[in-house]
Amino acid sequence: MALVAPILLKRIPAEPAQRRLYRWADYTATGGYEGLQKACAMPPGEVIKLVVDSGLRGRGGAGFPCGTKWTFLPKDIHPRYLAVNFDESEPGTFKDRYLVEHDPHALLEGIAIAAYANRITTSYIYIRGEYHRQAGILEEAVAEAYAYGIFGRKYPGTDIVHNCYVHRGAGAYICGEETGLLESLEGKRGWPRNKPPFPAVAGAFAKPTIINNVETLACLPHIVLHGSAWFKSMGTPSSAGPKLFGLSGHVNQPGVYEEALGVKMSTLIEKYAGGVKGGKYKAAIPGGVSMGVLGTDQYHAELDFDIGKKYNVLGLGTAGVIVMNDQTDLVLALRNIVRFFAHESCGQCTPCREGTAWMHKMLNRIVDGFGRPRDFDLLMEIALSMGAMPGTTICGLADGANWAVRTFLQKFPEEFKARLKCGQVRGVELTATA
Amino acid sequence: MTWLVEDRLKPYAARRAEPYLTDAIKTQVAEKYFPRYPRKQAALLPLFHRLRQEYGYIPEQAIDETADFLGIARAEVQDAVSFYEEFRLTPSGEYVISVCRSISCELCGSRAVLERIRHVFGVDPGETTADHKITVLEVECLGACEQAPCALVNEDLHGHLEPDNFVRKLQALSAARDDQGRAAAPTGRTHI
Ligand SMILES: Cc1cc2nc3c(=O)[nH]c(=O)nc-3n(C[C@H](O)[C@H](O)[C@H](O)COP(=O)(O)O)c2cc1C
Ligand code: SF4
Ligand code: FES
Repeated sequence: MALVAPILLKRIPAEPAQRRLYRWADYTATGGYEGLQKACAMPPGEVIKLVVDSGLRGRGGAGFPCGTKWTFLPKDIHPRYLAVNFDESEPGTFKDRYLVEHDPHALLEGIAIAAYANRITTSYIYIRGEYHRQAGILEEAVAEAYAYGIFGRKYPGTDIVHNCYVHRGAGAYICGEETGLLESLEGKRGWPRNKPPFPAVAGAFAKPTIINNVETLACLPHIVLHGSAWFKSMGTPSSAGPKLFGLSGHVNQPGVYEEALGVKMSTLIEKYAGGVKGGKYKAAIPGGVSMGVLGTDQYHAELDFDIGKKYNVLGLGTAGVIVMNDQTDLVLALRNIVRFFAHESCGQCTPCREGTAWMHKMLNRIVDGFGRPRDFDLLMEIALSMGAMPGTTICGLADGANWAVRTFLQKFPEEFKARLKCGQVRGVELTATA
Repeated sequence: MTWLVEDRLKPYAARRAEPYLTDAIKTQVAEKYFPRYPRKQAALLPLFHRLRQEYGYIPEQAIDETADFLGIARAEVQDAVSFYEEFRLTPSGEYVISVCRSISCELCGSRAVLERIRHVFGVDPGETTADHKITVLEVECLGACEQAPCALVNEDLHGHLEPDNFVRKLQALSAARDDQGRAAAPTGRTHI
């Protein structure tokens, strides 16, 4: 079912001139913290059950069921932590920023509910370093929430005080990977950890830790207020609820739009983003560059968490849709994406560190007109060998590089093969400037 | 994470008697951040953000001082600080221009923006103009792709960049002078 009215974006009008920051007074005047109030009247276990029943899946990229993740926390081990993943560094992704810079208390209410349900000692909001202004907004909102007793209070019937702090990153994509985030939180370099142990057992400071994305947490007040059946009435059976989609690239009105999961990509592009700019649709990345690419014939792809198998991509990812028109040089596009991974690889695993750099060099060579016909298979071979799913790396960054390369090659083989013939002209501009 | 290691191969920097971690900074960090985490080491990023704001970069000597302050090995501090791109280990210009080069921005013309900056200011990414006014960097996605092409000027985001306008804005910044007609003193930077 499609969305009747905005839910997560209910305080952020589509018209840019009308958007503003909702502080404590505005937030509470528009139904804010009612969800938390209701949650606190329920036993914590009931809140967890409600979230499990709602079918809420993580909005940070992996789509893991949120309630199920919470149930992995071992009983009665304290302190325990909540790490809020606001690293948001995947190219094409800006939804969390958009939400928090207008409606920061929506996140804080979600944090308070998750904390109440799981008896969290301390919540750390890990915000990426480049979000300077947003970190300021969050700090102010957190101070307001302390002043009004949302944080810094004991849970009823316990001695556990819940605190919430903003922790700023400093420019490293890999700190969005959950265990890289934890290392960074501890004041170390953001090198992802080998799992197990999983963070729910030994996470931040070796204590049980939940990691959730900003948008996942922002869904909680609505689920508590309106119930799991209401939440499931939106979206598809396996992908319930509303979802923020970020549209960028070649569209006339790039921005963040909210729709029920399962919405067609063509609807997002035409109804919300004002159509494709500068030409016809050629390709799109469904959810951040790690997910691979949707082909020209997949314009109407229905975007939910299970698009992976259906459309031969890695998944929905962050739902940051990057649209490319028919003027786009896909070899240059892929080179840009692979350069990103080569630059952001943390360097722990050889297949990732060497593989991304190698593929980047090859693509540079191909762009320069020195491609060889056998490069096609070679690129594919390197790509397929790297990642946590082939089992050669610690984290999923390498899988992202793997899927980007493999899907570009699989879905646009002619475009790549044409560039691998002798005597090619050098590619210069990614796109004819629209 | 970056593979650009040249910065770190420079010879050991000169010392100064006055510490970079002043008592004021130490007290501030100890009061605000130590209670937040079960281990002092976790205050490393907040501390370095504080130093970055104060000095514009992380001086080599501050790494030693931090190790003492947090009670960890110097190698641990070096290990962490060298990982994060925002913590630059060498001084930069008064205005650091971080131009996004990731896919959404490149699709919307970030290359033209960067080329124009290079042409007008005569610097490549990573370099600073001779008057120490402008440092140009190429960075990955800034999380503002709907405003592509975009760039940070120090901590402020500038979106929907149009090469000529943006360069004019930067020229105005770099030509800014104080009341007496001198070039404005670099703000918040003591060691350039
Ligand atoms: C390389 C890499 C980068 C990631 N970056 C982010 C990120 O910036 N933000 C985020 O919420 N999740 C990110 N994730 C996913 C997290 O590891 C984790 O699955 C997520 O934060 C869990 O929250 P959720 O269950 O609420 O989605 C990343 C994963 C990988 C492998
Ligand atoms: S897969 Fe890549 S980014 Fe992830 S831990 Fe290994 S080297 Fe680092
Ligand atoms: S690609 Fe430039 S801000 Fe995201």
